Amino acid sequence: MVVYTSLTYLCVIYLTQYRADEEPVDQKKYLEDLCKPKCVKPLREYQACVKRIQGDESGHKHCTGQYFDYWTCVDKCVSIPLSQNGSI
Amino acid sequence: MAGGIIQQLLRKKLQGQSFVLSSLFSKKGYDGAGSTQAKSLRAIALLGAGVSGFLSFGTIASADEAEHGLACPNYPWPHEGILSSYDHASIRRGHQVYQQVCASCHSMSLISYRDLVGVAYTEDEVKAMAAEIEVVDGPNDEGEMFTRPGKLSDQFPQPYANEQAARFANGGAYPPDLSLITKARHNGQNYVFALLTGYRDPPAGVTIREGLHYNPYFPGGAIAMPKMLNDGAVEYEDGTPATEAQMGKDVVSFLSWAAEPEMEERKLMGFKWIFLLSLALLQAGYFRRLRWSVLKSRKLVVDVVN
Repeated sequence: MVVYTSLTYLCVIYLTQYRADEEPVDQKKYLEDLCKPKCVKPLREYQACVKRIQGDESGHKHCTGQYFDYWTCVDKCVSIPLSQNGSI
Repeated sequence: MAGGIIQQLLRKKLQGQSFVLSSLFSKKGYDGAGSTQAKSLRAIALLGAGVSGFLSFGTIASADEAEHGLACPNYPWPHEGILSSYDHASIRRGHQVYQQVCASCHSMSLISYRDLVGVAYTEDEVKAMAAEIEVVDGPNDEGEMFTRPGKLSDQFPQPYANEQAARFANGGAYPPDLSLITKARHNGQNYVFALLTGYRDPPAGVTIREGLHYNPYFPGGAIAMPKMLNDGAVEYEDGTPATEAQMGKDVVSFLSWAAEPEMEERKLMGFKWIFLLSLALLQAGYFRRLRWSVLKSRKLVVDVVN
């Protein structure tokens, strides 16, 4: 856990000093991509929900709950390495 | 619907528990000493009722998720601490983002150009910036209104003449004035950042009508504003790479300053006076105990002769 967070710290620092000829990577998207493997369980729940409502014609079924659970997990994970770096 | 079913279960459970209670009483016979046992049974019954009630409340509340919007995370802002000041370079960049991206729709009518002097720009820079806009002034000696270049004392220009014009140009939605937006929304700074950088594809089963866009942080999920912050939308003067997250951070720093320009002075004053008043409290406490010591160390003697 400590190794993981220090790794992300190094990666974020590296990213903020990109080489002039490279495209700058959006920091938030980068951290969100890093956090996706940590939030697999809510992601699977969401995907299961999508499958369940696939045939629905009524238009009343939706997966907002599972979607929110997944993004709450990702958001929390993204704000943690930022807090440990000191500031955004 | 679910709540109704659970209410029925609750009633049945309570009836079942009271039945158990009455059967226990008939078996053991009621006496004064047995009341503790009855009390604990009653407590268990109440706890069971409470838990069922709590669970039913939970199922009702979850239906309001999209209504309240996704809760935004708390980001570690550099100006968050008890003695932390604003990142003024960030305010300067944020003002640039506001001017180039946001000012075409959002007014900031409570901020004047002079407020920027010493905060994000020098006086000459602000004078030059103000002179670029045209301001309606007057009436002149002939009784006519005239336009003149802006001065330090003028407020930021408004994109629309009035609310109706703003609504008409934006499909019925009014782009709110941003002067106080971080104070006008719950958890404003984090909310605005999450909103600006949080445009995503809607969840399965949710469709947004033409003209609106999905944003999970916006209450209800359907916001009229399209995604405005895209990588490279602005070229920063100081060369900072303008990623979406960077622009979001800078514009929120700028909006936080705009809503609370007095923050730095307030924190200094607060720290100073809380410290001094704590010393005064210690002194007052000592003095009070000194004066009361006379009464608190009294001895009363009861001298009764029967």
